[in-house]
Amino acid sequence: MRTIAVTGGKGGVGKSTIAILLALRLTKEGKRVVLMDADVECPNDYLLLNTSLGKKIETIKAFLPKINQEKCIKCGQCVKACLSNALFQPKGKPPVVLPELCSHCGACQLACPTGAIENNEQTIGFIYEQNIKDDLVLLTGQTKGIVEETGPLVGKLKKAASKKTKKIKADFLIIDTAAGLHCPVIQALLGVDSALLVTESTPLGLHDLKLSFELTQELKIPVKVVLNQVDLGKPELIDSFLEEKKIKTALRMPYSKDLVDHYANGKLIDFEGRNLKWSL
Amino acid sequence: MELVILSGKGGVGKTMIASSLALSFQEDNRKVFCLDADVDAPNLHLWLGGATWQSKKELSLTLKAQIDQKKCIHCGKCQGVCFFEAIDEKGNIFKINPFTCEGCGACKFVCPAGAINLKKQKNALFKKGKSKTGLPLFSAQLFPGESGSGKIVDFLKEEACKQSCDVLLIDAPAGTGCPVIAAVKDADFALLVTEPTPSGFADLKQAHELIGAFKIPFGLVINKFDIHEENTEQMIVWAKSHQVKFVSKISYEKKVFQALSNLTPILDTDLKTKVEIEAIYANLKKVCQ
Repeated sequence: MRTIAVTGGKGGVGKSTIAILLALRLTKEGKRVVLMDADVECPNDYLLLNTSLGKKIETIKAFLPKINQEKCIKCGQCVKACLSNALFQPKGKPPVVLPELCSHCGACQLACPTGAIENNEQTIGFIYEQNIKDDLVLLTGQTKGIVEETGPLVGKLKKAASKKTKKIKADFLIIDTAAGLHCPVIQALLGVDSALLVTESTPLGLHDLKLSFELTQELKIPVKVVLNQVDLGKPELIDSFLEEKKIKTALRMPYSKDLVDHYANGKLIDFEGRNLKWSL
Repeated sequence: MELVILSGKGGVGKTMIASSLALSFQEDNRKVFCLDADVDAPNLHLWLGGATWQSKKELSLTLKAQIDQKKCIHCGKCQGVCFFEAIDEKGNIFKINPFTCEGCGACKFVCPAGAINLKKQKNALFKKGKSKTGLPLFSAQLFPGESGSGKIVDFLKEEACKQSCDVLLIDAPAGTGCPVIAAVKDADFALLVTEPTPSGFADLKQAHELIGAFKIPFGLVINKFDIHEENTEQMIVWAKSHQVKFVSKISYEKKVFQALSNLTPILDTDLKTKVEIEAIYANLKKVCQ
């Protein structure tokens, strides 16, 4: 079993498209694949595959403080303990909870000397399972409502995905990450065998590719690059960076009107990655 | 006025629009201050045609827990309370995983041996600068592997609020997590940017839910509206049923990609997109008055 993450600092460069085309390509070669959509704030893989999220297999809950007004002695210890500024104490009154800012860590409850903080447990997200084909399962994590810290949800999703790969004896786990470099992306990348960094041939693409590369270096993950819409910009910008860092290219994907149409109609599965020359 | 530009989905044109609007405000002699809240991968300065940085400062806005192995009694209570699952155990030795530790301090409260401390961690580079056309700009770069994007955005906003300006223009990152929440929370108006694809629509609704929680009025920009006119129509219907202040559209032009490759601000081109962005600005001005 091999785990490959599809990432890249910049949004909209084609991470999800590439993750799906890769998964389809592997199934074509006779492999069994679990595709995991780790962009839990904005998961899109199911839409690009023209399907629904599928069966809800797990509900992820988290702590949210609730102040017991009778037990509270207004000492302010909880406010001091909360490093997310999710507790606010009006003068001489018990603290008020600002749920949008809460990271669900529970430090306030541990700090309270009178046991006045109760657990008003909240659902922060769900994990869904969709069978795309006999040999391809999609697992999606999705936040529910406003969630400040999305890393833990990705962690739970990874556990579910790992279980699924064992159950169906998968050959590959493909992880499609969110944009950026912060917690949900780091959580998705931890422990993978390798990563594909998707970029486009513009100065912005290069800028964010460098950041993404630094992150994978930090996490000691071997990488290859996918250059998307390679003919639209200035590929030489990216190529000189790849040469300097000795990074190999896994795919150079030309702009394709056909692909854009399939994408806009949510029918990537019908595109199947025709004629793409992968070197994984 | 605090104006935030967000989208949920990445790569739909937030920064292109944010930079163009900033330049439009400037041309209009409005005092505008730019804040790049995409601290993971900041690009606003590039879209503004480049920037000169007048000062750079390292920030330590996050904490990481540390276990003093000499004091640790191996009880595992810390691991039990860590919501971020950032404490690993191997052969009864407990260690903090620096990549997942959020520095919340819950572990410190339960440790009976006083073996856990929180240590400040350098997590970003704060940059103050001016764009090519003299627009003041605050930006920051999260160090790869570090956490605390939301706190960095909070810091940028606090610094920016000390400046006098007519418009504070905030370019939010993709997603709806902590840095986006920080970017959005005190805004007076939000511009939601999307594209007429199934993913664009789904992510637009996520972004809308976020601004809704903070009761922020909004306008909608549908970028590349002509790649799927039917989806565009559906989005307009949706927006109208959600009290949108205005809807603007931008056509799909391959040449935008070329302008971008050459770092040419859209307002310096003769593209259709330029005219369409000017129309967005006109709409925005009406709302702001």
